[in-house]
Amino acid sequence: MTIEKTEKKRIPLKEGLFDIEKGRLTGSKCPQCGQYFFPKRHVCLNCFHRDLEDVDLSTRGKIDTYTISRMVLPGSVMKEAPYGIALVLLPEGAIVQTVLTDCDVESISIGMEVELVIRKVEEDEEGNEVMAYFFRPVKGGSS
Amino acid sequence: MREVAIVGVGLHKFGRFPEKNIEELGRVAILNALDDAGASPGVIQAAFTGHVLQGTGAGLRVVNEVIQTGLLIDVTEKACASSSTALRHACWAIQLGLFDVALVVGFEKMQRGLLGAVTDPSAVTYDQLAGIRIMPGVYALQAMKYMHQYGARPEHFAHVSVKSHRNATMNPYAQYQKALTLEEVLNSRMIADPITLYQCSPTTDGASAAVVCAREKAHHFRGKPIIIAGYASGTPPYTPAGGGDLAEGMVESIARQAFKMAGLGPEDIDVTQVHDAFTPGEVFSIEALDYCPRGEGACFIWEGKADINGEKPVNTDGGLVSRGHPIGATGLAQIAEIVWQLRGEAGPRQVPRDPRAGLCHNVGLGGCNITILKK
Repeated sequence: MTIEKTEKKRIPLKEGLFDIEKGRLTGSKCPQCGQYFFPKRHVCLNCFHRDLEDVDLSTRGKIDTYTISRMVLPGSVMKEAPYGIALVLLPEGAIVQTVLTDCDVESISIGMEVELVIRKVEEDEEGNEVMAYFFRPVKGGSS
Repeated sequence: MREVAIVGVGLHKFGRFPEKNIEELGRVAILNALDDAGASPGVIQAAFTGHVLQGTGAGLRVVNEVIQTGLLIDVTEKACASSSTALRHACWAIQLGLFDVALVVGFEKMQRGLLGAVTDPSAVTYDQLAGIRIMPGVYALQAMKYMHQYGARPEHFAHVSVKSHRNATMNPYAQYQKALTLEEVLNSRMIADPITLYQCSPTTDGASAAVVCAREKAHHFRGKPIIIAGYASGTPPYTPAGGGDLAEGMVESIARQAFKMAGLGPEDIDVTQVHDAFTPGEVFSIEALDYCPRGEGACFIWEGKADINGEKPVNTDGGLVSRGHPIGATGLAQIAEIVWQLRGEAGPRQVPRDPRAGLCHNVGLGGCNITILKK
């Protein structure tokens, strides 16, 4: 996991999903049954307990499945295709949908080890750096 | 509980009609359904409509094109499963004894391009902003996992589109009435692996309608009534760490409920319409309906078993991929096709062997409606 150093104020693409300073995704843990969720939520879907705890999630996981988007979605920060999209299974059991970065799309495979990276995707009108999360293959990881 | 019969169905042709408004699309479908039933508009006691993107009051405007008797007009939005949901609401109301005769209508006019493009900044999700949520994405993610688990190949999914387009050449209501070869489907532009352009349902304008009534009233209408034998609905259950199989369990469970209500099993279904917004959808749904074991659906279709003359005909009208997918109208278009097939009125695409029962599987934003019809 790395955070790329920048000078300007860094803001998330959308609030509540990750902590830029910590460089971690923020999920929820149910104090009653131990289930983890991403993104965070208020009520446990497993046991209906309320008041789930915010937790920093693992920064590494494995690709459960993936596809390669050959086109861009208008209005999204992904301006060029192709790029990988994956469901990443974290060790806690939470699933994270993500864009894959720093990899040749043809090298992506199910079971591949990937790690979180939070990086700038654009600048807003005030010059703030807008940050998003991605996953990328772990160097030397199993694939 | 009293039974409900479908006594008339009608469509407006599916396609792109920039010059027509939804009132016209809906009016044509409604009049076709009324004429099919031999029913005067005045006998309709309530109307149940389904649409997604047509704005405030659209259900009222469409029904008022033909009927303005002061009747109840309800509107349902359940994404791509809106009009099959409206049909179920009509069943509930008739079975409760609130009405004897009702009209069900589905209609939609769609913009071209990808569904889910970012339009309203306040409603936009991270998945959309970050480029994660592309519409074929869920089907593509499941298809990639399916290929990994079961050894299926991209041509298996492409073949679903070949079959659909072949069937649609025999359907005058279909948006695309042109056959495609496997090479043409495989070589069309890749959208999200393994799904190519010709494996995606198009954006479509169209409308669909049905006249339904309590079975004991069916003799007032022309022709042989088709009975709504079973129906069930639901949404994907939460399963820990199950994100890769977004639909796993849901369709199986809903199908079981619908079969139980109908007193029928998968082996009794002679003709089927499933929700193939993208071609892998047909493979996954026939497995979930237990027409074949899990992992064998791709080969089942590849081998011709889901062809019109196969042992289990599926998407005889071309499915969403070829008939077209005007999201609010799709569910009832599936119903109309099954009605025509069970009556033996499907023309060149008629399934052989005098079909007795048929099934529709319609999915909308995660939820699913299954409706079983019989003679």
